[in-house]
Amino acid sequence: MNKKFMRKVNPYLWIAPSVILMAIFIVIPIFMVFRMSISDISKAGIIKGFAGMGNFQKVMGTPAFKIVLRNTIVWTIFVVGLSTLLGFILALMLNSKFKGRKIARAIIVFPWATTLVVQASAWKFIIDTDYGTLNSLLRTLGIIQANVNWTPTAGAYFAWEIACGIFVTIPFVCFTVLAGLQSIDQSYYEAAELDGAGYFKTLFKITVPLVTPQLTISTVLNIIYVFNSFPIIWTITKGDPANRTDTIVTYLYKLAFYNGKQGQAAAVSVIGFLILLICASLYMISVLRKGDE
Amino acid sequence: MEGKKNPFRISRVFFYLCIFLICIVTLYPYFAMFCTALKSRAEIFTPNGTIFPIHALWSNFVDVWQKAPMSKYMLNSLIVAGGSTLIAMLCGIPAAYALARMKFRGSMVLLGFVIVSQMFSPVVLLIGIYKVMMSLSLTNSLLGLIFINAAFNQAFTIWLLRGTFLSIPIDLEEAAKIDGCNQVSSLIKVLLPVSAPGIVTTLIFIFINAWNEYTVALTLISADVLKPLTVGINIFNGYNMIEWQYLFAASLYAVIPVVILFMCIEKNLASGLTAGGVKG
Repeated sequence: MNKKFMRKVNPYLWIAPSVILMAIFIVIPIFMVFRMSISDISKAGIIKGFAGMGNFQKVMGTPAFKIVLRNTIVWTIFVVGLSTLLGFILALMLNSKFKGRKIARAIIVFPWATTLVVQASAWKFIIDTDYGTLNSLLRTLGIIQANVNWTPTAGAYFAWEIACGIFVTIPFVCFTVLAGLQSIDQSYYEAAELDGAGYFKTLFKITVPLVTPQLTISTVLNIIYVFNSFPIIWTITKGDPANRTDTIVTYLYKLAFYNGKQGQAAAVSVIGFLILLICASLYMISVLRKGDE
Repeated sequence: MEGKKNPFRISRVFFYLCIFLICIVTLYPYFAMFCTALKSRAEIFTPNGTIFPIHALWSNFVDVWQKAPMSKYMLNSLIVAGGSTLIAMLCGIPAAYALARMKFRGSMVLLGFVIVSQMFSPVVLLIGIYKVMMSLSLTNSLLGLIFINAAFNQAFTIWLLRGTFLSIPIDLEEAAKIDGCNQVSSLIKVLLPVSAPGIVTTLIFIFINAWNEYTVALTLISADVLKPLTVGINIFNGYNMIEWQYLFAASLYAVIPVVILFMCIEKNLASGLTAGGVKG
């Protein structure tokens, strides 16, 4: 009886440390944010009373919020989509044998190993019109005569931010996929070669299915990380001018820490959370379906 | 993937050109930072400046240590990153093992919970985190940062390790069980060595994430002596005046150790230990 009980409890002992850690430092803060989103909060951050949907109505009624929402979706789709595609191709390239592969791999690691604040300040400096190094480089190469304004509009700024986002996200996808590629048993390829399968057939029938777990993890995590990404936009434009480059995260940060509207900031968090929840549910449904099979 | 029909083989020159260009573009920001870190403030703000500094001020790299308590910042970053990695792995490995190898009620709920828990980044939860840390007296504490980083890296730890464990045939562990190993020793002696590439990937990711974390540290740490590098270097990023040369010199100090560390461990990833473990 005791042994049977122990066998039942055993898995829960294994997961307990992780569950406790996440409960204290993630679940409780989530609860706090949800509570604040429906509360009337003073500028000092003290909860004064129940506000119902008041915070949500105020946020939804702000014209800027529509722009912010659209920016967030554009930002997430472009950064995740393009970095996944490019990262996968790069992983395939790095998985083939060539001279200098080790050096290439070591170099491609760089952006991943670099904190986003540093990467973003570097790009902010590079694209600067008056003293940026991109202009000096192109002038030295004779490609341009006079300095080019790389960021004439808010849209141009946003495009650079997206490019910077893709740039820093590629290595994560690449190395996650590469770890998967390298754990593939070479005998699959030997068999495919014996069967006379071409490169693309091998790619889509063997490689892609076998690295699907890694691709799924990197894509799902990237959607979450990119959607919630703060330092790139914060460093380069702070969401300016007039919210044109704001995403949900920078917008709520400004609400909470610049404008003292913690209740509305919490409401924006909850809206963002609900959007991501839809994505996560889709993923979870597919995972649970696989589990049933 | 080195088969004869690999189209990359057809145009070898094109392949090398692509790799070369990718490497150049990847290194460009670091090159730009390095060149700027060597310039004087006056030279940086000269219109139509040159790529390389006209007068290389190597002293910038020395001065930066005096202009800010850099060694303190670096030690703090090391403590936070190392501590976060340790705690995240100690909590994550058993959880991933249970989710990969044991059937129990609620395992799918836990996996779902892990995903949902990641919906909020620390940035989004900052107000909530701050209140929790206040009540635990963990603001202005490196231990507080360690816990936050470890918790927010649990999802990646569990997902990647579970994926790695699942990809390894259970035969090895069953053989170990016959040899008299219990779950703990078969995990440590059999599964972990074979999972080395996945574990290394996970380790690196947590360490780098914690080393590079910015927003939580910025909010929770106000004492200068407790600031990690990412927050500390912003001493040069004033509101109206950015000291680009010092900012980039300090940034390079913050970036290089992590890059070197990654490159050292990255070789282990390449050796394909999993395949070796299964085949051998």
